[in-house]
Formats: sequence, C-alpha cells, structure tokens
Amino acid sequence: MGQAGESRRAQVFDGELGAAVAQAQEGDETAFAVAYRLVQPGLLGYLRGLVGDDAEDVASDAWLEIARDLGRFKGDGAGFRGWSATIARHRALDHLRRQRVRPRAATLEQDVLDLPGPHSTHDQALESLSTEAALALVRGLPRDQAEAVLLRVVVGLDGPAAARVLGKRPGAVRTAAYRGLKRLAQQLGREGVTDEAPRTLGEST
Amino acid sequence: MGERLSGGESGRRRAHPGDALEIEALLVAAMRVDGQDTEAEQRAVNAFRTARDAGAHRARTRRRDDWRPREQRRVVRSMKVTFSLFLASLTLGGVAVAAIGSYTDSRDSAEGPAESAAGRPEAGPAATSAGSEAKERPDTAKDAEAHCRAYEQVKERGQALGSTAWQRLVTAAGGERNVPAYCADLLAKATAAATADSRPTKPAKTNNPDQENNSGTGGENTSNAGQGNNSGAGTEKSDTPQGKNR
Repeated sequence: MGQAGESRRAQVFDGELGAAVAQAQEGDETAFAVAYRLVQPGLLGYLRGLVGDDAEDVASDAWLEIARDLGRFKGDGAGFRGWSATIARHRALDHLRRQRVRPRAATLEQDVLDLPGPHSTHDQALESLSTEAALALVRGLPRDQAEAVLLRVVVGLDGPAAARVLGKRPGAVRTAAYRGLKRLAQQLGREGVTDEAPRTLGEST
Repeated sequence: MGERLSGGESGRRRAHPGDALEIEALLVAAMRVDGQDTEAEQRAVNAFRTARDAGAHRARTRRRDDWRPREQRRVVRSMKVTFSLFLASLTLGGVAVAAIGSYTDSRDSAEGPAESAAGRPEAGPAATSAGSEAKERPDTAKDAEAHCRAYEQVKERGQALGSTAWQRLVTAAGGERNVPAYCADLLAKATAAATADSRPTKPAKTNNPDQENNSGTGGENTSNAGQGNNSGAGTEKSDTPQGKNR
C-alpha cells in the first residue's frame, strides 16, 4: 500500500519541523515562519472542523500564543504538532464557549444534501468532494469522532499524541477515530474501491 | 499522515484495505488548507519577534509544554524526583545538625559572661560582678553557689575536684587557689541578695525612708564584703538584678 514511502515522508516532514522549531527557539524568526508553514495547513483544517468559518481567527489567536510560549515547549517535530494542536483546541473551545454555538453548525444539513448520493460512482464522489463537503461530512460526525479523525488524519498526530490533545485515553481515541472513518466511508458509499484514487490524492498533498 | 492511522489498524480492516486509506487521503486533500495566508503568517512572526525581544521565550516549561517522548519524560521526571529528595534530605540533615550546634552554643554563650564577670573576684568591687552576674545568668550563679557550698564539704577529697562541675567552678574562680576567696565572695553576695529579696518592698520603688533604711541595715547585717556597693547599686539602678534574681 506504499506505506513505507509515506511514513518516510512523514518522518522527513517531522524532522524538518523539529529542526525549524529548535532554531526558532534559539531566536530565528525565519525558522519560525518555516514551522508555521509546515503546521498551519493541518491546524487550520482541524480548526475548521471545530469552529467552521471562524477557523482563521481562532488559528490567528492560537499562533499568537504559540509564538509567545515557544520557549516553554520541549520536544521534536511531532511533539510540536501535538503541542500547537492543544493550544489551538483550547482557543477553539474558548471561542465556542463565547459564541454558545455547537461545533456542528446549522448549515450542516444542507451541505450533506449537496453531496453526491451514496449510490453514485466513486469517481464522481472523488471529483466532487470539495472542502465544504468534506467539512460538512466531518462535522456531521459526533464530536469525539470528528476530533479524533481530524487530529489523526489531518493534523497527522499518532494515537497517544491525539489522546493527549483530547485529554482522553489512547484506546478511546483510537476507537473514536475508527468509528468516525467508518461512518465517513459509509456516507460516501465507498465499498470495494480500488487503490488508484488515494494514491493520486496522496501525491497531491 | 493518515497512513499512520491505517497502518495501526490495518489488521482490523483487512476486508477493505483501500477503504481507510482512501478516506484519509480524501480528508487530507479536502481539509488541509494549503493556500497560505501571508498576512496571517506575518502576524504570527511579528508576535514571535515581540515575544523573543521581550524575553518571553525564557519562560519555564510547564508539564503541558513537555512533548518529548514518554520514556524521556519519565527519565527526566525520576531524575528530578531523586534530586529533590536528595536536596530535602540534605536540608533536613543540615537543620538537625544546626539545631545541635545552636543548643550547645546557647549554653556556652550564656555561661560566658558569668564566668568572665566572676573570673576576677579580687579585681573590682563586688557590686559590678554581682550585678552583671545576677543579670546575665542567675541559674549559673546559683549553680556556682551550690558548688561553693558543696566545696566546703568535699575539698578534702581530691578526686571529686576532678569532675566537670568542679573544673567549671575552678575556671570561674580563676584558678584553684582562688576558689575559697571566690566562694566566700559569692556566698556573701548571695546571702545579701536573699535578704534583700525577702523584704516585701524594693528599696528603689518606694520613697519611704523607713523601708530604705531597713534594706540598708539588712544588707549590713548579713553581708561582709562589698555589701555597701551592692545595696547602693540596688537603689540606684532600680531593681532589675534583684528582681531577676528572685
């Protein structure tokens, strides 16, 4: 399934991030910008799943805190993604508390209606799965499943790190991620698909 | 990124090997936001620069900031625990040792003035030594008195004079030859003080000439050496020595 290559790439990614973070902790602002660019895409995707359209604002707040507290952080690249995700999550929960809005927004139902039906072919579904549709699908999940899936898949944390971000046991998070992905698969009607499509998508990221 | 998840759970999902991978890849493609907002990045970098220049990056690491691998954290934590236990034991041990030192020190320093004051009985009038001695350390004075009284009885027996208490008395007297004189002096003062104390009122506190006369005569009657000075000091310097002596 090409996992060896993929994980090697992830290790290179984490190594690069770890080096950038270490340099930034020495005071190198260019290295901090590099770390930002490496972390922000996944972080923003996670925040979109939590707070929807306010993700950019919440991410901005989170980065202010990350920039301020960077000296306190200890760990490698993977650790930095977990640490920054924890900060972003706290900011997101603060935001939600202020807004008194549940993470599943009211626009959810309509987005789901716009999705291709479960019987459409897999090519159609792939081509039409926009960011909005994916977002709607994820936010249609129960909150714990949605967060577990986002942290592990989009932010790229391993099980223990995701569990630490969520303040739960690793087993509970693994189960939640598994159920969430299964549910997403059912909603997209992906049964018995081939391997070509994900490889293409994997390379595009 | 998602490959870790499917890698960990591939055993469970062998029926549909491409399933989870595909969903994850879809999610990664759809949810990750790769278009960079340079303005937001600039804000973050500015915040970084501000914090760095303000020295905020020297802040202490809290437990929630420590994302090192678990084993590493545990080693560091156990080292910290060991070190703080070691420090605590050092501190407690030090306090204990210091307490021993302060106990003996306080005894030594309390005895010091009494010895020095009483060390030269022939040097000055009895009033000064008696006054300071009584003020500083009445118990020691009483000890010395007791030793002196006992001395009269045991001075014939040589080995009793070798004990610590006798050594102290000899030191206080300023030599073995001086002990009889020292003791006579001391006992005389003690008798004078006891007589003065047994009076219901203090000479210094009253303007009644009768009582002052009484104390004066009492002192004359009972003491031999330096009693005049002693009672004089008692009247002038208020009653602190005698009050303490009681």
